[in-house]
Amino acid sequence: MEKQDSNRSLSFIDTPTAANAGFLERGRRIKMAAEMGLVESSRGRHWSRALRSRLLRRKGNGACGCKEEGLAPCKVAEDLVGEDGDDEVIEIERRVRALQKLVPGGEDLAMDQLFEETADYIEALQGQVNVMRALAGLLDGLEKEKRLMGG
Amino acid sequence: MEPTRSSGAGSGNSGTYTPEIEESLRFEEEIQSLMRDNTMHPSLEPPPASGGGGGSSSFTALLGLPANQAVELLHQPDSDDSPAVAAAATSGRELWRFRLRDPKALTLPSGFSPTFPSNAALVERAARLSVFAAEDSPEAASVPSHSGDRFPKPKAEPADSDSQPICPIPGERPQRPAKRKEAEKGNKVKGAAKKTKSAEEGSAKGAEENTAGEKLPYVHVRARRGQATDSHSLAERARREKISARMKLLQELVPGCSKISGTALVLDEIINHVQSLQRQVELLSMRLAAVHPRIDFSGLDSFLSAECGRVSVGNGRGGGGMEQSAWTEATDESRRQPQQQIWHVDLVHPHQTPSVWERVDSPHLFVHPGTSLFGYDPANSVSLHSNQLKTEL
Repeated sequence: MEKQDSNRSLSFIDTPTAANAGFLERGRRIKMAAEMGLVESSRGRHWSRALRSRLLRRKGNGACGCKEEGLAPCKVAEDLVGEDGDDEVIEIERRVRALQKLVPGGEDLAMDQLFEETADYIEALQGQVNVMRALAGLLDGLEKEKRLMGG
Repeated sequence: MEPTRSSGAGSGNSGTYTPEIEESLRFEEEIQSLMRDNTMHPSLEPPPASGGGGGSSSFTALLGLPANQAVELLHQPDSDDSPAVAAAATSGRELWRFRLRDPKALTLPSGFSPTFPSNAALVERAARLSVFAAEDSPEAASVPSHSGDRFPKPKAEPADSDSQPICPIPGERPQRPAKRKEAEKGNKVKGAAKKTKSAEEGSAKGAEENTAGEKLPYVHVRARRGQATDSHSLAERARREKISARMKLLQELVPGCSKISGTALVLDEIINHVQSLQRQVELLSMRLAAVHPRIDFSGLDSFLSAECGRVSVGNGRGGGGMEQSAWTEATDESRRQPQQQIWHVDLVHPHQTPSVWERVDSPHLFVHPGTSLFGYDPANSVSLHSNQLKTEL
């Protein structure tokens, strides 16, 4: 599961030890919660639905009630660079495919819709990061005070 | 001095002879008459609806008119035309006369026959009107400069030297005016190029400019010079422009991307940005997990049952003071787990202490309880759509 939603991972996640197993598990759950927050915040979006189905699938399909979206063939980048040379087309295609893998549900999308979804996804991600950072800061403060107060 | 009005110009028509051709030929004749007797006034402000084309002496004046009026003028009975209308410039007259006199001898470089299929006639007219409507004064200035003997390249000289007679795609031209997006930049060069083309291809149709400015009821796409103009490439071009518009939007979203030029590099930046954001989410979730290695909130139950509203503690006070707010989106499944909470971080007041509950032994992280538990004033919080972290499990 660690690899499914990110191309890169923090290395220590891969090697759970007894000491950090709980920590890792909690981290994963928090991450899942964060992603669910992403989903809920942008409900109508294609990437949101795709992310939701991915999360629910991971949890065991009980809560899923969603329809399975058939995987459409990958739409290629020929729209963007119809006039350019072949090399550029290949280059751009490669990047478009990479982007498709990053954005949840991106494989089904053609270029124009993909870009739209990407823009929305970036905004949602940014918001999510802000929230989590603020929360972490607050909790750190809280923790510090608890410690100070001998709590 | 001109072929007769009746079917003089029409006599050459051997092919399809549709009402449109007839009409355009009629225009031709009317223009003929106008040119014959009138001088050209490059800048005319004729009284629009005067009879028989009234003060609108020349076709250039017609060009300046709104389309309907121009058409109206030309449809007026010809009897009034000659005396009332001013005379066109001599050379221009000659030019037109030359053209109109000999439509059959009109040998376009492309071998374009005067007997057009019907849609070509319409199309040429529309092409002309797009050309002439856009530029009236330059044409008015340019036309008089031509003389009849320069007929084969009637407008080779005027302002645009680069407009060569591009007639290799006469077949495509008929379809070009099928769509014209006003958003397309039609600069002088393009217009001039088209003018040249149209002048060569359809010069027998002197009546084209009659419909100058007349907007056909569908969208016109102005083809760029040298670009294909069939419907497929037009649609493709529209799609491409949509895609580049989205790309621009993405460029604005991603910081530092607007300076970059080149699609591949921009896409690189976008990909990097998305990856970095995803990585940040992961790191922050790890950090959040680390912050509370053991979550235990003593006052949790009492707090939940109290159904209190926002308890705002002074800045930095921890311990018992807890302030939280709940998202009002209710899910029933959450009621099973009263211990779980959704916490809503109010970013407007970052120093207020939020509360986070998590039961270590429960498989759930944060589940939204009933909405009645927390009174929440949505107006007070920043309504960032991603303001909540919750999960449904």
